[in-house]
Amino acid sequence: MVEVTVDQLTRIEGHYRITTQVNEEGVVTEAQSMGLMLRGFERFLQKQDPRDAALLTQRICGVCPTSHSLAAANALDQLFGVEDAVPKNALVMRNIHQALNLIASHATHVYVLWGTDLANPAYRDLLGNYGDTGKAVWDELLGRFAPISYRLDGVDIPVGRGYAAAIAEKRRLHEAISLFAAKMPHSVLSHVGGVTYGPTAADIGQLASYYWKVMDFVEHFTLGVPPETWVENTRFASSPQKAVGFVVDRLQELVDASLVSNDFSYAAGWGDVPLYTAFGSELIGEEVLGLPASMRLDRIGGYSDPSKIGFLTYGVFFKPELGDGYDPTSPPESRVIPSGFLNGNLKLSRFDHSKITESIAHSFYVDSESDRTPLEGTTQPEPEPDEIDYSRGIESRYSWVKAPHYGGIPCEVGPLSRMLVMKDPLIMGLMDLFREKGYPAPNTFLRMLARMQEILVVAAELLKWLTVDLDPSGKFAVPTDLSMAKDSQGMGLWEAPRGALGHWVATDSDSKVTLYQAVVPSTWNLAPRNTAGVPGPVEQALTGIKISAAGNALGVDYTNPLGIFHTARSYDPCLACAIHTIDLTGKRKEQVRVI
Amino acid sequence: MGEDGYLDRLKHLDFMKMNRRAFLKAVGALGASLFLQTYRSEIVRALEFSETRIVWVHGGECTGCSESLLNGGEPDLLQALKRLNMRLAYHEVLLGPQGIYVDGKMANTSELNSEILFEEVIEEKGYILVAEGAIPNGPRGTGKYCILGGKTYKDIFRRAAENAAFIVAVGQCATNGGVNSADSEIRDLMDFRGVAFTMEDREKGILREYGLEKPVININGCPPHADWMLLTLAAVVLGKIKVPDDLPYVLDELLRPKVFFPPDHVIHDNCPRRGYYDKGEFDTVVSGPKCLWKLGCKAPYTHADCAIRRWNGYHSLCPQSGSPCIACVSPGFPDSSRPFFQEIEDVGIVGTNIDTVAKVAIGGALLAAGAHAVRRIAVKDKPERKEEKEEKGKESAEKGGEDE
Repeated sequence: MVEVTVDQLTRIEGHYRITTQVNEEGVVTEAQSMGLMLRGFERFLQKQDPRDAALLTQRICGVCPTSHSLAAANALDQLFGVEDAVPKNALVMRNIHQALNLIASHATHVYVLWGTDLANPAYRDLLGNYGDTGKAVWDELLGRFAPISYRLDGVDIPVGRGYAAAIAEKRRLHEAISLFAAKMPHSVLSHVGGVTYGPTAADIGQLASYYWKVMDFVEHFTLGVPPETWVENTRFASSPQKAVGFVVDRLQELVDASLVSNDFSYAAGWGDVPLYTAFGSELIGEEVLGLPASMRLDRIGGYSDPSKIGFLTYGVFFKPELGDGYDPTSPPESRVIPSGFLNGNLKLSRFDHSKITESIAHSFYVDSESDRTPLEGTTQPEPEPDEIDYSRGIESRYSWVKAPHYGGIPCEVGPLSRMLVMKDPLIMGLMDLFREKGYPAPNTFLRMLARMQEILVVAAELLKWLTVDLDPSGKFAVPTDLSMAKDSQGMGLWEAPRGALGHWVATDSDSKVTLYQAVVPSTWNLAPRNTAGVPGPVEQALTGIKISAAGNALGVDYTNPLGIFHTARSYDPCLACAIHTIDLTGKRKEQVRVI
Repeated sequence: MGEDGYLDRLKHLDFMKMNRRAFLKAVGALGASLFLQTYRSEIVRALEFSETRIVWVHGGECTGCSESLLNGGEPDLLQALKRLNMRLAYHEVLLGPQGIYVDGKMANTSELNSEILFEEVIEEKGYILVAEGAIPNGPRGTGKYCILGGKTYKDIFRRAAENAAFIVAVGQCATNGGVNSADSEIRDLMDFRGVAFTMEDREKGILREYGLEKPVININGCPPHADWMLLTLAAVVLGKIKVPDDLPYVLDELLRPKVFFPPDHVIHDNCPRRGYYDKGEFDTVVSGPKCLWKLGCKAPYTHADCAIRRWNGYHSLCPQSGSPCIACVSPGFPDSSRPFFQEIEDVGIVGTNIDTVAKVAIGGALLAAGAHAVRRIAVKDKPERKEEKEEKGKESAEKGGEDE
């Protein structure tokens, strides 16, 4: 048995370590997911004016600040008792704000953080075995996804075209946000009762212009077909089979042309999604299209025991047709991407926020109990330096991330869960196909494809919000004053780009915060083992994978564990979000502190 | 003098050493983006210089500063690296490598392993160290609240700092502790430190804790503007400022470049809502078009060029989008700015332990605000004008025209 540790796993937000035990066949037999740093965020919101939260909680995460500001604003709406009255226009503005940030965040993840692994030298070695075709594909991968300051065999590699173009698009999306929310990251706009700014007709025109520029990028770099064509034939396909058929037929045309010409360029129609779909998946690439090799990302990153995993979403994007106000419990019919819980066999049930609990059995916190519901949570960081040790194995405490579960089940959250709960035909169709053919379902390949698909799904809605639903002469906020927040509670259920996000707040008779809590996506995905010893989602997904490129196709290389990189990064980890401390009122402080 | 004359003169001006008057004049004459472009000819010359290595490290942070860096426009990050012959030698979010250990030993080479890469770049010395994020000193001075590759960030940062030519602290967490150092029941246990300051306290900067003397430039802000970061790096690489000799002249007492954080200029001076302040017209609920003073705006005592430069494509700033300035560039942020939405005249400046310099600055701003208050009392009874909404629309339309 060999211990392979990735510390740090870079190209994510924050500080993260994975330790695995790997056998002689190069298969992971045990994995530990470890958050390496504590910031102690929610504690400093206590005793303060609750309205500050919509701005301050953004500082939890510079990648998805918008989602935090929205979850906070939603919680504040309920705290002030105005959730029924928030004007439709304000809800549409929140949707637009979130959508632009989600697209920017996904694009950054796909191209800058995750895509870089497609330019790993192991793929040069693998594709090198397949003549001119293999070399042509490798040249594309390196030429698109090489990151800044990349060196291979001592040679400096220029920054990839996709990578560089995606940075420019992310900048463009942030510029669009600044038109109505001042700046990014850490924009303004979200406020209890609505938004702080109503866009002018000119702003809307400018936003639409930004939108079309981004869609040009999506057409020419990402998809190779117009986004409308893609959405019409996948998202709005009449059946999952039709959606999969559309993608496969398109790929077959590209393959037929390119296996002769060895031209896999953007100009030849090979957008990043087609290139990824053909060469990322063994089932689609090798079995269906007959390609000689693939990265086999559909062979890794699944869950072996359906009783130990679920897929959760809190629901996101208000439905403008429902008018003013909204229901803070987020019933599925009230959001464009609905709330819902799928068990490991994909059976859907209605989301119930009271089923969420958190375990700290394997986390560096001090408490009299190991499991609590979020609203009862009270957490004190381990004050004893010698107790903070990451090398004591799976029985020990080994992370600053807690282990949340839903009805006792650890859950994957994020685009894959959202696309499954939303029943996106393409993602559902591929799930069925993988399952039928004996592949893990879901898997690392599909998790990333779901993220790409969500960009398109949300972009289609965004245009409608912008050009149809928004009324620049309408109302954008209801008036509030601090006295409305006396002795109250609020809950903000929302989704960050990387998954389910909830903020909870409570106040005293002076309207000052007594409790503030955020339960965030990466806490779900990167959780350590829970009280019952059940591993968290990433830990489960890593167990059983072959660690090296393309399912150890070139043999086992412990020093380049690409399977771990691909799978762990496919969750778009955000440790700054994941690690937080919770405190009810501070009352329990003396009782749990054991200095 | 025509525009060409200005351009010609600007070529010989050093923007980091410009006073506010010259800076505003230049910006006013040319527009922020053209102003910055005048340096392009010099940027081309930088290729003649040897490669400058940037080592960028992350402590207790949210990666918002790196995100902001990627939003740089004039120049953008990739242009800046290329044109200024800078190499981003280490950056955990943007570079390819990651830490790889096999049976506890570092594996592979620096092309794939970030831990080996880090050792190699530190060994080479002479790089510019960019610090993003605060340094956790707790519990009890051990730094164990952040352990990376088996080492505390406190030790990693010390080693990186020791071998650096100088340090650029970017963002409020690195410059002053930022949100990590906000008042809470666990603040002392966590004990987050800024590089040269913790909140307003220079004695508590982590460099003092190490006993290490290194030149430091602070680029404050939550996050800092990409221009503030990239243009500061550009100024150093181009030899526009010599480190450490020029630092006493170009930095303020908080070690911030005066050109971006002008001591005699506050955001309020150029706020797009300033006209309403002068007329004594204030919003008391959000989503209106008027002055945000009564909603807690801190722009009257916040020293930054946000209102001149504007953010993300040079579009906007917080008050323009209807939200009060929260003084995120001030050393005591966020405590010195909380509560965000209450008028300063009502609550005073709470939760601060501001040193003399900052006190004088704030005192001055409040005096100035007082003077304006007299004026606005004089005009208080004037009827409100109703066509603001249309005006704003017109402004945006014009702005859009310029951008294309």
